[in-house]
Amino acid sequence: MRRLRISWAGWRLALRLGRREAWRAKGRSALVLVMITLPVIAVVTTAVLASTINVNAAEGVDRQLGTKAAALVTAQPGIKDLVQGVDPGSGGWSAAKNRPRATQAQIRKTIGDRPMLRVDLDTYLPVRTEAGLSDGMLAAELDPTDPLAAGLFSLEDGHWPHAKNEVVVNSHLAGRGPGLGEMLTVPSLKDGAPATQLRVVGIAESAAVKNKPAALALPGSFPAVEDDQSATWLVGGGPVTWDDVRALNKLGVTALSRAVVLDPPAAALAQEGGSSDNTAAVVGALVAVMALIEVVLLAGPAFAVGARRQSRTLALMAASGSTPRQARRVVLGLAVVLGTVAGLVGLVGGIGLARAIEPIAQHYNGDWLGPFDVPWPAAVGVAAFGVVSALLAAVVPAWIASRQDVVAVLSGRRGEGKPSLRSPLLGLVLLGLGIVGAVLSTRRATNGEVFIAGSAILCVLGMVFLVPVVVALVGRLAGRLPLPLRFATRDAARHRSRTAPAVAAVAATVAGVVALGIGNASDQKENRETYTATLPMGQGLVTAQVDGVTDWTAVRGAVAKYAPKVTTTPIVGIPEQYDGAYLDLSVRADGEDQSPESYGGYGASAIVSAGAVLPSLVTGNSELAKAVDADKAAAVLRDGGAVVFTSRRPVADRATLRLEIESDTGGASTRRAKVSVPALFVHVDGRVTAPAAAVVSATAAHRLGVTPRTTALLLDGGVSKAAEENLHEALLALGTDVDAPSVYVERGYQPDSYAWLIQIVLGCLGAVLMLGGTLTATFLALSDARPDLATLSAVGAAARTRRGIAAAYAVVVALVGAVLGALVGLVPGIAVTYPLTRTAESICDDRGCVTSSQTGPFLEIPWLLIVAVVIGLPLLVAGVVAATTRSRLPLVARLD
Amino acid sequence: MSEPLLKLAEVSRVHGSGATEVRALKSVTFAAYAGELVAVMGPSGSGKSTLLTLAGGLDSPSSGTVSVEGADLASLGNNGRARLRRTSIGYVFQDFNLIPALTAVENVALPLELDGEPAGRARRAATAALAEVGLVDLAGRFPDELSGGQQQRVAIARAVVGQRRLILADEPTGALDTETGEDVLRMLRGRCDAGAAGVLVTHEPRHAAWADRVVFLRDGIVVDESGTPPVEALLDRGVVS
Repeated sequence: MRRLRISWAGWRLALRLGRREAWRAKGRSALVLVMITLPVIAVVTTAVLASTINVNAAEGVDRQLGTKAAALVTAQPGIKDLVQGVDPGSGGWSAAKNRPRATQAQIRKTIGDRPMLRVDLDTYLPVRTEAGLSDGMLAAELDPTDPLAAGLFSLEDGHWPHAKNEVVVNSHLAGRGPGLGEMLTVPSLKDGAPATQLRVVGIAESAAVKNKPAALALPGSFPAVEDDQSATWLVGGGPVTWDDVRALNKLGVTALSRAVVLDPPAAALAQEGGSSDNTAAVVGALVAVMALIEVVLLAGPAFAVGARRQSRTLALMAASGSTPRQARRVVLGLAVVLGTVAGLVGLVGGIGLARAIEPIAQHYNGDWLGPFDVPWPAAVGVAAFGVVSALLAAVVPAWIASRQDVVAVLSGRRGEGKPSLRSPLLGLVLLGLGIVGAVLSTRRATNGEVFIAGSAILCVLGMVFLVPVVVALVGRLAGRLPLPLRFATRDAARHRSRTAPAVAAVAATVAGVVALGIGNASDQKENRETYTATLPMGQGLVTAQVDGVTDWTAVRGAVAKYAPKVTTTPIVGIPEQYDGAYLDLSVRADGEDQSPESYGGYGASAIVSAGAVLPSLVTGNSELAKAVDADKAAAVLRDGGAVVFTSRRPVADRATLRLEIESDTGGASTRRAKVSVPALFVHVDGRVTAPAAAVVSATAAHRLGVTPRTTALLLDGGVSKAAEENLHEALLALGTDVDAPSVYVERGYQPDSYAWLIQIVLGCLGAVLMLGGTLTATFLALSDARPDLATLSAVGAAARTRRGIAAAYAVVVALVGAVLGALVGLVPGIAVTYPLTRTAESICDDRGCVTSSQTGPFLEIPWLLIVAVVIGLPLLVAGVVAATTRSRLPLVARLD
Repeated sequence: MSEPLLKLAEVSRVHGSGATEVRALKSVTFAAYAGELVAVMGPSGSGKSTLLTLAGGLDSPSSGTVSVEGADLASLGNNGRARLRRTSIGYVFQDFNLIPALTAVENVALPLELDGEPAGRARRAATAALAEVGLVDLAGRFPDELSGGQQQRVAIARAVVGQRRLILADEPTGALDTETGEDVLRMLRGRCDAGAAGVLVTHEPRHAAWADRVVFLRDGIVVDESGTPPVEALLDRGVVS
């Protein structure tokens, strides 16, 4: 009991001293508060906004059912053994081929005689807008005046539709096209059928959809979607229970029940699937750990200086009988006070900021946000992070303060003793483990990046423990430097407890920037070197629209208009799709399907040759041309055969061409044809893309009973970017409402525009954190060095000397940190290129898979970024510090 | 007739205002000539250290003028006063006030380096100054590797390096034992005999005995003066013609 009393008294004293010290050293306290509060505010704001944006089932039920309906039931034909959870989309069912759809009467019989309203709330159709064609308009059909429909749409202007040629639209659609009083045009989904025109008689907002087009009309107003045979009703009356839902499931009817959503039974929840994305959780944890390390390192120097300012107090306490533990509590007491204030301010500030940002988030969010929602467990946890980070930042200074030489302090000696060996040894061990871990992680087939990130944290922690030794070493080497640098370097080395955390913060930041920079640059290198040109450089290609029916005369006219110097060459082949029919060509030999895994982009499964001449798509592709024996190919084509592109190595000299044509026109039908032809097999690996599965002779195509068609148009002679854009728009206008011909011009590898943006963002992030860490250390060092600066003034230093010394402090912290960080960052940076840029291709058969080829890893060091961060940024930071530092030196205080 | 190296004419210094006003010096007239060591004595709070800080240009008087080598410090500005401290005025503090991050020779060379002297020349001059005080063998040591007496001798070397002509010493023996204190005063005396002017703030009569004159301060006023003023001082006052 006595021990508890002593312990509590010790903490009470520590908290009292901490409170007074925090108030006395307002500047330093403010610095710590900023370091800790800002991340707490940022995370709390993000968590609150994310929770608000996320509409859970209970929050979203009104958006799907309105405010009055008890349930939304959907009947579909052809299903049985339906099992669902709270969400009708969860669970599963089996196919029952001829089972008809449940009727309204059957549903009423199952759940009682309730009011029901037929609705369609999940059909999306294309619609004409001022810009052209927009797909994805919610085409809702229901009677909006029925009480059961209340809350699904809210009328803002005009009136509800009274007839089937009337419609109301939401403000988003009205802003992009048909407004009040104008005509809404919905293209038909059937070729040749006229579009549906509806008059817009009102503006109404959908509860479900905000920044997407939505329209509401009476049932039967919109064009029917042919293969949709489901029927949906809103159901009124009392609650639809879980037993009712199960009974409906037996009919093949899914149900979204308000009662089940708001109070889900265990059986319903058991059906809800869940997928855990371990990778996301691990990455999130790693990011949180790194953020914690950064905050601790940035706030550490402030606690170190505070501890030293309190050293006389602690020495006097020791002279009065305090223990080292009680001395530590005095320093930690300040951390508890500041951390608690930071956590509370961050919590309140984060919630307030989220509230202020909510309207902006709503403006840019495509859907309606949920109710303002504070995830209290997460928010309080983040606030606790503030307290934890302050405590962690103060742990080392508290430990050092508790072990100070009392006599030395009372006799006024400043500075710290020699660095101990334990920490650097621990640092070497951690760094070694991190390096070994990174090397081993490069061999992992999966999740290598995650393990490398973990190794990176070990490397950074090891580096943190080595920083004091490095700083002390740099201090010893400062003898020949100019005065301000010599002073700053040695002073920084003498006060390692203040300097080392700031250097470590800068180093950790630079390590991250360098590692990410190498990963990004290497990724770009991989893309650049593995890029496979689809066409010879500068050549263009116009491909047919999806259904294969294209007015090639009009296409040629558009090309002649916008790219008059270009010559066009038609690609004639067996189309993959034409006029509603799907043509599937396969090539077999040696009892196996020889079709390559991927090919083309020319809309043809096989190119039909003109006589015995290989098409320019083959001869113009240098890699492909090398693989083809031109004489043998000519001989095979002359004999009515085929040149087959395959990733295998068959030994046969004949192939079986199989063609299956599925047509939906006038009812489903399938026609098959099979011919055996002489064949030349050409091996293609992943680096070469074949234009089609095969080049077949006209004879072979005729024997298959298929008419070769133009599937694409080659453009030679150079198409400028401007001409390509004009051609693209012109081709769009040629298309049907659903698709149009498209143009592609081979311009070689085009760097990802995001790559440069990432490098710039990394550089800026490094600059901000480096500036933060350096300013912290410099501000504290100048404050700490006040007596020395007064001495300099007394011996005649000019006023600008203070500025020079401040800049020198900044250079020391930033440069040492940057160099260390760059060296450590190389480890995870190089390691991560392995999982990121190494790809292996396998050939699989009944016996298993064998790696057929491997590319990578690719390594590119972004030297410009590294030089900028290691040399440029420290100089820039020093310049900022020099420019913002007061130049007046303190004068010697009154001495009597 | 030679001018005093240091002259305070009707100098007053007031700190604070209203109820917290403190008059550290009240119309004090004081002079120190080349070749003489003047001791300033008085109880705590009498204004001794204020007089020294005004003399060194580290503070400005509320009224009156302070001149060093004939130059009115008020007209020089901060940079001008700093230059004077680098080239003409040497300070010796009770607490030594050496820069812990610089070695002994670097501390002594500090004013020269600040004045733009090349590092090599500054170091040579500093080494010579350290030799004068008998510490050339400890030139490479840091202050916390030196004893109190050694640190004070380094501080004196810093105060006299170059061609400084005015040395201001504020209780330079306060933190030293008797023998070391005597050594320090001997060095100061020697410097004054070589032509510098020295002002020594002390409250020890036996230390004041090293001086040519002793000025007594109480409550910011010169209440007494003993010792023989130099001829120049007498000429100045019109005592002799």
